Amino acid sequence: MKPTVILRRTSVRTLLATGLVTSLTLVSGCAKSEDDSDKAKNSTSQGDSGQVVASPSAGSGPTCTIDAYGGKKIDLKSATVGFSQSEKEANPFRIAETASIKAEAQKRGVKLLTSNAQSQFSKQISDVQDLIAKGADLLVIAPLNSDGWEPVLRSASAKHIPIVTIDRKINATACKDYVSFIGSDFVEQGKRAADRMIEATGGKGEIAILLGAAGNNVTTERTKGFEDRVKEKAPGLKIVFKQTGEFAREKGQSVTENLIQSKPGITGIYAENDEMGLGAVNALKGAGKKPGTVKIVTIDGTRNAVQGIVDGWINGVIESNPRFGPLAFQTLDSFTQGDKVAQDIVIKDSAYTTDNAKSDIGKAY
Amino acid sequence: MTDLTLGRATADRDRLLRLLQEYGVYLGVVVLLLLNTVFTPHFLSAENFRTQAVQVAPVLIVALGMALAIGSEGVDLSVGSVMALSTSLLSLYLGYGAWIAVLAAVAGGIVVGVANGALIAFVGVQPIVATLALMVAGRGLALVLLPQLKDVRNPGMAELGSGDVLGVPYLVLIAVALALLVGFVVRRTTFGRQLLALGDSRPAARLAGLPVRRVLIVVYVCSGVLAAIAGVLATARLTASDPTSLGTLMELSAITAVVVGGTPLSGGRVRIGGTVAGAVLIQLLTTTLIKHDLPPSWTQIAQAVVIVLAVYAARERGKR
Repeated sequence: MKPTVILRRTSVRTLLATGLVTSLTLVSGCAKSEDDSDKAKNSTSQGDSGQVVASPSAGSGPTCTIDAYGGKKIDLKSATVGFSQSEKEANPFRIAETASIKAEAQKRGVKLLTSNAQSQFSKQISDVQDLIAKGADLLVIAPLNSDGWEPVLRSASAKHIPIVTIDRKINATACKDYVSFIGSDFVEQGKRAADRMIEATGGKGEIAILLGAAGNNVTTERTKGFEDRVKEKAPGLKIVFKQTGEFAREKGQSVTENLIQSKPGITGIYAENDEMGLGAVNALKGAGKKPGTVKIVTIDGTRNAVQGIVDGWINGVIESNPRFGPLAFQTLDSFTQGDKVAQDIVIKDSAYTTDNAKSDIGKAY
Repeated sequence: MTDLTLGRATADRDRLLRLLQEYGVYLGVVVLLLLNTVFTPHFLSAENFRTQAVQVAPVLIVALGMALAIGSEGVDLSVGSVMALSTSLLSLYLGYGAWIAVLAAVAGGIVVGVANGALIAFVGVQPIVATLALMVAGRGLALVLLPQLKDVRNPGMAELGSGDVLGVPYLVLIAVALALLVGFVVRRTTFGRQLLALGDSRPAARLAGLPVRRVLIVVYVCSGVLAAIAGVLATARLTASDPTSLGTLMELSAITAVVVGGTPLSGGRVRIGGTVAGAVLIQLLTTTLIKHDLPPSWTQIAQAVVIVLAVYAARERGKR
């Protein structure tokens, strides 16, 4: 009797397993989403090169050379580069960032090791240590946090591995713990958003801010830049509402719905990222407003937001360029050849307005 | 003589306390409504109530399922992930038309519900652990199926999200219908009685010959289906599928609504009316703070205070 019982049990298990596997393949195999042609369109129209440096790479500002950093010159072509991404590639910014690094590595024929910390800082630390253990000669890191990098920096400096951080800074000494930081100036982005808002509203009226996630340097700096510039240039523009939309479209929508009911006279909304801005557009549509009655300015430069300008709902999008690949590899290249590189490389972000949205939508990510 | 008056005073206080526990959540809603009418400009408008009702609908629907799970002396932590899974499936199958896509999304909810129920009823895993496993797995699966936000352009879905009948949005109608349905099931059907009996005492229910396993599985399937419906409605409202952020912390909002509504976590009792009021209370609280432009951290603190008050009331009830 016993053998049959065991047999039956194993057969049940196999049945369950095969059932699970087939159902999974069925789920993804039979799927038919709304438009599969989207992919083809994206890949063909993404015609944009990398970033342009705003602050000069040598001359002004502190620089770093390989002699000052320690280590020896290597040829980038024969080197292995490790890239550690911080967040899941689930939003356009991260997708474009990783894709840009990968594309540039391929173009230059450099061996690239990648890892993704899935928004967990402890994972990112062990990711980078793994990359070092796997033999990375150079590191490109998109840090999740600014603090807590000591263990990684110790093991990297023991092996004299040059580190370039992109999009966020780490709190450490440049040219000692890492080589340079390449990124946007978030305060400057806020200021430029304020300029767009002043232009769109004429510098008068009441405006609202949809803040990003609390306790994030991107949020605080984009808020600071915006508020400072408004105070300085357009005292007639009053900021009457500041609530967090947590960088998500849904939250941006529900907060804006409440905003336009309690303050129907609002003239402008500054959203600290595109997603919240698109949520605000949804809310305005739902309330039966016409495009352009409430001016919206956002930051990031995703395709959907630039399309929003074309449709007349959004008045300006300040770009936060995610394509770090070319600049990161160029920096590593000149550094490993022994040239001087800047410690802080601030990239130039472009902007989309009603004038260039239609022609430049191909550049959006 | 003094003893007698003292006794009556405590009796009165007890009765008052009990009434407060029983109807406190409704009182809270009324107080917030009155406060807002006086202090919030433009509060008394049809448009505003419409917005509040639409915003509360998904939370409310999830909370209904949660109330059933909690009534069976369990909890369902996977509801937020089911919403994400539902929005992924919806977007994936929208090419076949809205109805098929909605059915696929609901089927996803059923599958997760069956998995939850089977783990709890047959394997004997504690509900909090079983649904925690599905919470992690569900979100992961949702992201595998649809790694990032995708716009939904189906006109049927857009109509569902923003259309209305005689000024009442579809979302609100669906939420009300589901609340009535769940209320009816809990009060008037055999299944409802069995659910409450096994929530009170599972051994007793088993000894009484109730189909404990079947009831448990049905409870978690209901919770999964309701969460999937909430996911569909939230997607329709947003006109985009966003499995990365849709439904995050939804399980906590739902548990809050249920607990604030006076359903004890120890099971054996389900208050659907209270759950509805609990969801509305939290919504009004958040709205009030947003409308007065108070810092977001205040909202969290205010919610915490409400939860502590509700749990305090639940404790008193348990002691009785």
